[in-house]
This record gives sequence, C-alpha cells and structure tokens, in this order.
Amino acid sequence: MPDRIGLSRRSFLMSSAAGTAGMLAMPAVLRAQGAGVKLGVLHPVTGALSYSGQQGRLGATIAVEELNAAGGIKGLGKIEPVLGDAQSTPDGGTAEVEKMNSAGVAAIVGGYGSSICLAVSQAASRYDLPYMVDVGVTDAIVTRGLKNTFRFGPGFGVIAKTALDNLVTLNDQAGKPAKTVMIVHEDSAFGSGLAKLLNDQLPARGFQILETIPHPTPTRDFNNVVLKIKAANPDIVIPADYYNEYVLLARTMLQQQVRPKAIYSVLGGAASSYKFVKEFPDAAKYIMDCNHWFDPRNAKALALKKKVEAQGQFFTYEVFMNYSAVLLVADAIEKAGAADRAKIIAALEGSTFVGHVMPYGPTKFVNGQNQGAAPVNTQVLENDIQVIFPAAFASSKPVFPMPA
Amino acid sequence: MRRLAMIVLVVAVLAAVPFTEASNAVLNFLVVALLIALAGQGWNVLGGYGGQYSFGHAAFFGTGAYVTAVLQVRYGVNAWLAFALGIAAGALVGAVIGALTFRSGLRGSYFALVTLAFAEVLRIVASVAPITGAGVGTLIKLDLRHEALQFQSRAVFYWAILGLVALSLVIAWAIEHSRFGAWLTAVRENEDAARALGVDATRVKLGAMTLSAAITAAAGCFYAQYFLFIDAGIAYGPWISVEALLTAIIGGAGTIFGPLFGALLVRLLGEAARLVTGDAPGLDLVIYGAALVLVVAFAPRGLMGIVADIRSAFRRPAPRPTAEAAGG
Repeated sequence: MPDRIGLSRRSFLMSSAAGTAGMLAMPAVLRAQGAGVKLGVLHPVTGALSYSGQQGRLGATIAVEELNAAGGIKGLGKIEPVLGDAQSTPDGGTAEVEKMNSAGVAAIVGGYGSSICLAVSQAASRYDLPYMVDVGVTDAIVTRGLKNTFRFGPGFGVIAKTALDNLVTLNDQAGKPAKTVMIVHEDSAFGSGLAKLLNDQLPARGFQILETIPHPTPTRDFNNVVLKIKAANPDIVIPADYYNEYVLLARTMLQQQVRPKAIYSVLGGAASSYKFVKEFPDAAKYIMDCNHWFDPRNAKALALKKKVEAQGQFFTYEVFMNYSAVLLVADAIEKAGAADRAKIIAALEGSTFVGHVMPYGPTKFVNGQNQGAAPVNTQVLENDIQVIFPAAFASSKPVFPMPA
Repeated sequence: MRRLAMIVLVVAVLAAVPFTEASNAVLNFLVVALLIALAGQGWNVLGGYGGQYSFGHAAFFGTGAYVTAVLQVRYGVNAWLAFALGIAAGALVGAVIGALTFRSGLRGSYFALVTLAFAEVLRIVASVAPITGAGVGTLIKLDLRHEALQFQSRAVFYWAILGLVALSLVIAWAIEHSRFGAWLTAVRENEDAARALGVDATRVKLGAMTLSAAITAAAGCFYAQYFLFIDAGIAYGPWISVEALLTAIIGGAGTIFGPLFGALLVRLLGEAARLVTGDAPGLDLVIYGAALVLVVAFAPRGLMGIVADIRSAFRRPAPRPTAEAAGG
C-alpha cells in the first residue's frame, strides 16, 4: 500500500513538472506546427458562467470548422483555434491571454462576461493583440480607448434605450393599457445596472415604478418575491436575471397565478431561450424580451440553427454571436493579408463585413464599437420565439396585453 | 539564522525567474501564485501560529482591494498612497473584527463562523453600496506609468509581489523568534494554560489578527492594481478565504514557507491538470480536487511536514533519554 501511495505522489510531481515544462515550451512547440493562422477562442467554460461559455465555444468552433472546410483564410491557410478557459473569473481570463499571446495567436475572440472582457481586453492591449468581444455588454469595455478592443454586439446603453423605446411603442400601439411597473433584478453588474437605468428613465416615459426588488444569484425560492408582486399588482413585470433565476421566477408566477399585462425583460436570462420554451412552455408563454438575436430572414442563420440543433444543442445567443464574431475576425485577417496584429487592427477599424447572421447590417467600428449593433424584441408565441421589433426583421406581431 | 538564510535563498531564486527565458504566461502564473501565497501567509499568522481558524479572510483582502481602487477612482488619490491606505484599512478591519470576536470570547468553530459572516456581510454591502460601484464594480483606469503603480512589464509586477511575499516571510520568521510569537503559540496550544501563565491572550490574538489582516489586505491591494477591476464577488467572495487557508494548510500551517510552497503547489497542480486534460472543460477541476484530497489525506502536516519527515529520516537518531533526564 505505501508503495502505491508513493507512486501516486511521484506521479503528481511528475505531472506538475510536466506542466511547468509544457508551459515554458508551449510557444516553441506551437510555432513548429507549420502554416496557418492561430485564433484564440476564449470562454468561461467552467465556473458560474460555464453553460454560456460552452455555448459560446460551440458557436466559435462551428465557424472555424466551416471556414476551414472552405479552405481557411485566403492566402494564409487554415485557422487553428487555440481554446482557452477563463474559469468565469477575470484572472482566469488574463492567464489565458498570456498563454495565447505566447502561443502566437493573431487575434482573440470571446470573453462573454463583462468583468472577464474588461480584464482580457487590458491584458491583450499590452501586446496590441486584436480582441473581439462576443457578448460582454458593459460600456466601459469600449470606452477606455484601447486600440485593440472591438465589440461586435451592442453595449448596455444601446440595449436599454432600445428596450425602453420599444416598450413605449408597444404600449402606445395597444392604447396605453400599462401604467405601473415592478422590477425584479439580480444584484450584480448586469441586474443592478439595468435596474438603476430603468429607475432613472421609466418615470420620464410615463410609467410608475411600484417597487424594485433585488436578489442575489443564485436564489432558489421566489415565493416571497411573487407574493409581493401579487400584492402590488403591477401592469408590467420587468425581470433582469440570469437563466436559472429567470426560469424560477416565471414558474413561480405561473404557480401563484400572477398574470400581469406583460412580462417584459431586458437581456432576460431565459426569455429568449429555446431551452426555456421547450422545457417550460406554459411559464414561457407570451414573455417578451429585448435581447441579442439572429436575423430570422438570414438563410445562413437558419442553416446554423439547424446544425446546432442537429448536435442536440440549443440555439442560444452565445452561439450565433460567437459564430458571427469569428467570421468577422477571419474576414479582417484575410483583408489584412497576414497574421500581423497591427494590420488586423487596421482591417477591423475599416471593416464593412456583411457575412454574419445578426440583424446589424455591415459592420462599422467607431472607437471599437460596432455602430449597427442593436438588440431586437422577441416574444414567446406558440412555443417558438418570434421577433416582434424592429419591423424590418419582425417575424410576428406582438401579443400585448397577454391574454388572461 | 539558518531560516533567514533560507528565506534569502528562496527569494533570490524566485527573483531570478524573469532573467530566464520564462514567458509572460509563466510570470503571470507566478504572480497569481505569489498573490495567493501572500494572502495565505496572512492567514498563516493568525491560523497557523495563533490557531485561530478564520474562514473570512476575504474581509481583509476585499477591504484592501476596494480601498486601493475606490481612493484612486473616486478621490484621485495617488496609487502608491492608496495602496498603503488599503493595507492600513485592512488592518483596521482586522482589529475591529478581532476586538468584537475575541472580547466576546469566541473560539474555534464559533470564531470561524463569525469571520465568515463578517466577510459575507461586507460582500453584500459592497454589492449594493454606491461607493463601491455596487454590482457594477470598480474599474481602475489603465495607465501604465510607475506613478500610477502600473507597469508595462509583467516582470516588475512580479518583483513587486515577490517583495511583498519576502516581507511576509521575514514577518513569519520574526514571529517565530519573538516573545510575541511564543505567546501566540502558547495561546494556540492551550489558551487557558497560557492565560494562567500570565499571557494576555486577547491582546496577543488581537495583535495577530491585525497583522494577519494587513498582510492579506496587501494581497487585495495588489490584486486591484494588477487586474484593475474588482467587484463584490471578487473582493469579498469566499474564493479568497478558501484559497488563503487552503494554501497555508497544504503547505504547512504555522511554518514560514508553508503558504508559499502551498500556493505554488496548488496552482501548479491546477495548471498541470489543465494541460493534461486538454480542452475537456471541468475535468481538470476533478483531477485537481482529487489531488488535493490525497495531499491532505497523506500529508496532514502539509508540504513542510513532509520536508521535516525527510530531514528527520536522514538525521542520526538521537540517543534515548535516560529516565532521570526525561523525568527532570
């Protein structure tokens, strides 16, 4: 028995030593692998954000596979993805950037969480390494003057403004049936920021906020929150939660038979999720959301949806945002004509890419932010997710107020 | 003196790393490991030497981090000064929590639970208070100048954290060789007996807690300055409380080098597990966890315990004491 213990301990030491040696030797090993372009694909595939991170990685790798199947990047060869796990923390993300830089990647795509994106962009900027944010919505990501950082999707300011504008339009079109609002939000960056913004702006747009209820993530019981909602009886409930809490809140509302005129979320964790619609169709019915969404009229988007669903996965926004972001970066590398970081940054600055699957139009970056990026409004109708705003991309008319 | 020479030797070896061909990925890895070692050394002063097992060192880490960040961002205080004030604030929080708990006579698991509660309360307050940026967190502006305590080179950051770790090693050495350290160990071994011998246990524990908090707060200040972003979950989250006590216990609680070697081993293990498992998400954490269980199961006194065992195995066995000597 002692022998076996000794052996296992020795093997730990050996694997530790192998680890260090591997880390030191990695750049050389990877350089030796020949032509092609290395692309950093960085997501939080473990930790609190792991589901989103894995979905993001899925979208990015599908894009890489498709590009490689078509011969890779013109003149430069195939793309070699360097996968990284940010472990759902800023320091985890930073460590991956250092490794990717040592491995000689031409650019990095991903990040997902705002705090990860903030740290990753700074770490990458030390090496003038082009970094394409996939989702992270905090506006500070692109307002710090980092030359290397670009965001394909919309930021918080644009999302909140669109959501409020569309809420007003929705209400006006229906003859202003809604006057009172209750906000239920999770208490980290995303939920608190949104609640603050809504509290600032909703009264000016003619809505009375009855109460704002914060809760931590995770929360495993919403009975008290829903009792409060029931007592206050608002016309509209606005949840700002991550996936699990959102589902639980919607289900508790259904159980307690709380049916406001609308459940209207902004970046709702579950509202624009096929998973939610499939697993809890009754709770999801008529829920509206303002969120990242693909262009439902784009054939490429529908083909991607089919492909993802054929793999037994849900077509979540992380998938198509990352898919698009990788295509965009690959296009910029092709335009740059070399895996040269400065040239890729210049190519991204002048990028007018249309081959993505989002309803954004051609890309146009100002200070790193894609100007055409905007969210859309969706609603769960007949066990499917339909786009209801903007009219140009709408696949259905909104149902508001929701039928009792 | 031999221990002091060992400290100089270990620090000198580590200081030489940037002169080798180590990539920034390696330096970044070592910076994070040393950061954890520093937090662990803070825990070690109170938990290892004093026997007061805290589960809430995040309270000090977070206070250091927030004070450093908030003073710079909201009040325009110079980063160096903010760093120093962050350490002071962490020490103050340690003194306050210490005064409240030790004066109430809380020991053992009660002390552990109360420290955990303090850290959690601070986390919740930080996640809603406007001054900390509430849930949005606080972002220090990227400003790679020495005046702003930010450096273009990872190596400078590395030497900075190594310097702090070296200082913490010297502090641990000084504790071992001082009257204060003797009192502290006496309190750890048997508090009632120590009191009976005239040791002011409350005061000694309070001193250790303040010192311990200051060291862990320094790690927090460094975190803020290195990653330039903190929120309530990072600063006051339970992760750092766990890392601090884990590294100290794995390395060997109540030893000078325990936290440093513990942090290096734990981090290296995590990194090696990730390299071995490749791109299978989460598998590395399984290996890492299993390895930690084995280390704790087979080396309960930590790495330094193994070192001591090896040394005593090579040493010539001491002559058996005679009955008179043993009795006298």
